[in-house]
Amino acid sequence: MKKQQYILVVLLVIISVLTAACSSNEPNKNPEVTNSPANLDNASQKPEQTENVLVQPIAATDLSKLPDRAKQRTDTIIVGLVNPSGAFTPYFTQVGYDGNVNSVLYTPLVRIDENGLPIPALAEKWDISDDLLTYTFYLRDGLKYSDGSPMTTADVEFTWTLLHDPAYDGINDVVETKIRGGQAYKEGKADSIEGIRIIDERTIAVTLEDTNATALTVLGGAILSKAYYGKDYKFGNLDYIKTLHANPITNGPYKLEKFVPGQEVRFIANEHYVFGKPKTEYFIYKTTEGDTWQFIETGETDYGGFSATTDNIEKLKNLGFVNLIPSTASNYGYNQFNLEKEHLQDKRVRQALTYGLDRELIYVDSRQGAGSVANIPSSPILWSYTEEDINSYPHDPDKAKELLEEAGWTVGTDGIREKDGQKLKIHYLGSKSQNTDIFIAVAKENYQEIGVELVAEQFPDFNTLSAKVKSGDYDMASFSTTIISDPSQGVSRFIKGETKGYENKKIEELYAQGLATGDIEERKKVYHEMFKILNDELPVMFSSYTKSITAMNGRIEGFVLNPLSGIAYSLPNWELK
Amino acid sequence: MRTYLLRRCLYMIMILLGASMLIFFLYSLTPGDYVDNNMNLSEQRKAELREIHGLDRPIIERYINWMANIFKGDFGYSLAQQRSVIDLFQDYIWNSFLLAVVATFFTWFFAVVIGVLTAYKQYSLFDTLVMIGIFAAMSIPSFFIGLFLIKVFAVDLKLLPPGGMITTGSRAVGWEYIKDVLHHMLLPVAVMVMLGVGSLTRYFRSNMLDVIKQDYVRTARAKGLKERSVLFRHALKNAMLPAITLVGFELPGLFGGSIIIEKIFNWPGIGQLYMQSFTVRDYPLLMGFTMFIAILTVIGTLISDILYHTSDPRVRL
Repeated sequence: MKKQQYILVVLLVIISVLTAACSSNEPNKNPEVTNSPANLDNASQKPEQTENVLVQPIAATDLSKLPDRAKQRTDTIIVGLVNPSGAFTPYFTQVGYDGNVNSVLYTPLVRIDENGLPIPALAEKWDISDDLLTYTFYLRDGLKYSDGSPMTTADVEFTWTLLHDPAYDGINDVVETKIRGGQAYKEGKADSIEGIRIIDERTIAVTLEDTNATALTVLGGAILSKAYYGKDYKFGNLDYIKTLHANPITNGPYKLEKFVPGQEVRFIANEHYVFGKPKTEYFIYKTTEGDTWQFIETGETDYGGFSATTDNIEKLKNLGFVNLIPSTASNYGYNQFNLEKEHLQDKRVRQALTYGLDRELIYVDSRQGAGSVANIPSSPILWSYTEEDINSYPHDPDKAKELLEEAGWTVGTDGIREKDGQKLKIHYLGSKSQNTDIFIAVAKENYQEIGVELVAEQFPDFNTLSAKVKSGDYDMASFSTTIISDPSQGVSRFIKGETKGYENKKIEELYAQGLATGDIEERKKVYHEMFKILNDELPVMFSSYTKSITAMNGRIEGFVLNPLSGIAYSLPNWELK
Repeated sequence: MRTYLLRRCLYMIMILLGASMLIFFLYSLTPGDYVDNNMNLSEQRKAELREIHGLDRPIIERYINWMANIFKGDFGYSLAQQRSVIDLFQDYIWNSFLLAVVATFFTWFFAVVIGVLTAYKQYSLFDTLVMIGIFAAMSIPSFFIGLFLIKVFAVDLKLLPPGGMITTGSRAVGWEYIKDVLHHMLLPVAVMVMLGVGSLTRYFRSNMLDVIKQDYVRTARAKGLKERSVLFRHALKNAMLPAITLVGFELPGLFGGSIIIEKIFNWPGIGQLYMQSFTVRDYPLLMGFTMFIAILTVIGTLISDILYHTSDPRVRL
């Protein structure tokens, strides 16, 4: 047993080192509970692994096992975070982990609740005009920055304007909401943005050029202090902001106490926080690159995310002093088809390749339950998720063969199908990881059976892989999206030619419709229709959702899981027992 | 001597120029750039960002800009970390240096002592046992031995911290702080010494074996000197001479950081930062750091040449 554990630890490290390349770009988002079952269509092939598949959260069983290190810490909560870089100004961060830090330092105007729906935060309410183009935000009374200065609508205007500066090199979401007059400001043709109108100190209206359902949360983001960040602002030059990264003036539950590069980010409760000072005085993000096990086990950190494998769950349960919360990440994995290749332009071939692949075995069983099969571009935790009228493409070699025959691909002398003298060969690109190894092994065999030859190539890092994809020399390539908080983000790759070779008027239309209304029920309908079409046409092969386990020290109370807002959502209420 | 130094400096500049070209062009020609790394950007925004970062300019122009800035002491601005590369070096390199300098000291210390003793008692039981032990330590992969020690000393016995450089949240200053860091250094240094001591011991042992057979050692013994004095004053001093070459090569190693050790022990060193930067193609940092190591390597070899000259009059420059 001991020996096995060592081997396990070693393997984990190898895996974490190997996968670092693909995952390092994603923030350590806090995943969510889901009760939605994996699409286990082929009941006969369902393995006997259910004993350690966690569906409901379980509480710590034995707090007496709590390590001394944790017991002695009475006023500080420590959470592991891969590696924040110190750029603690929202919108100006490049590393996702800085985003995690900023979410503790700043509370947005509008935040997203457990179900992915917008709720008031620093804005007490908002109005949306009937034509869905004008948004009016009403700020709460008594908002203050961490230095005690008041926060007003002038700060809101400043923040939105700043992001339209031509020198701005960060995430461009605010510009893409298309505020009226935004482009003119960016090009230097106007001194201010026409569409932004301050009504009074606590009321501000903004008018857009196009309807956009995500605008509410995008515009309702973190607001920078004009007095501090706008002091030296000159149009076309944002270099001065870089000097302010290390000493932010913020409005969130905690303020920055000290950043120790490569080691920790220390926070102290913000007494000016509009919802009251947080219950725990100190909070620390500890840099833990890769292996968090040893820190959770020794009580050095209070919170960590793990892949939801049966081994991990077993081991975490044995610790006794941690609460375990299962969740599914809000993104999806997919195998991109090269639709510029003639043989993949036929929908039936794409469907056959999906039917012909035992995705259950690849994405669920061989990952020890740390995943589930995806069939639509939406995570099960999002409100847009549906299984109604969705083809789950169970592993069915006969159906696959039938579709290929229909498409005119007949079995040649060597067992590989051909058409017009062309062999049906799939050139697959994946990252260099254990999961890809498994994929290749299973897919080779699966595709052999239906008369398709698979040639695989693996890449050590994301950039080389995407460069190869860009060159067009591939048939299928494995990817996964970043965290998706609005369903429109999950389907944006299927419009405006973002997926080369795919064009569907209906999808374009529905995409616009989905953003044109704020009504959730109506949006649901639109997205369900869209998912149905995408599920049938398969411009990409949807592959998997990732499941994880959050382990949290049992002495912490007040935690609410919110995969889309991260831990910052409930952090002010965390309390040490 | 002076003409030699002058000539050497000229060579050094040429070597560094060559190295800079190699570094710059290799990195720039690697497929994918920093902007490509973000899947969520539209092609239009990618083009805008390339313009802001200057990635759309001709490669020669970019090289000249880069070199001009380096001459001004500006190694660039890290795109991912949003800080100047020099600042980042300041933050991370000294942590790596601390680990490396202590580990190197102990590696050399143990290697010299064991090397001398094993050479003196060549083919004895002691010699054999030590050699077996050393080879065993050298052959185990660092990540395994590191994790094993963490498992035993940190997780099971709870004697030592599981990683990091200070206790998380520690507000210790002064002596308490030093003690905390020493406590955290113990395991990584132990692993680095274990891995490094093997080859050096072999090196000193064979040098020592050569020297012990020399006439001047026999003369020293014949004079009736104490055995210890013969070994350490007459033999060791001469056996150490070739090791001076190694000292120069250690220089970049002291600042270069150790990717694996730093990763396993969660040490906030430059090796970790380098690895992360690689995955996101943060070229300014990657190129700046590689260039920095190249400069150190060239300086290191110069230092070892000069040291050789001053310590061994037989060597003429």
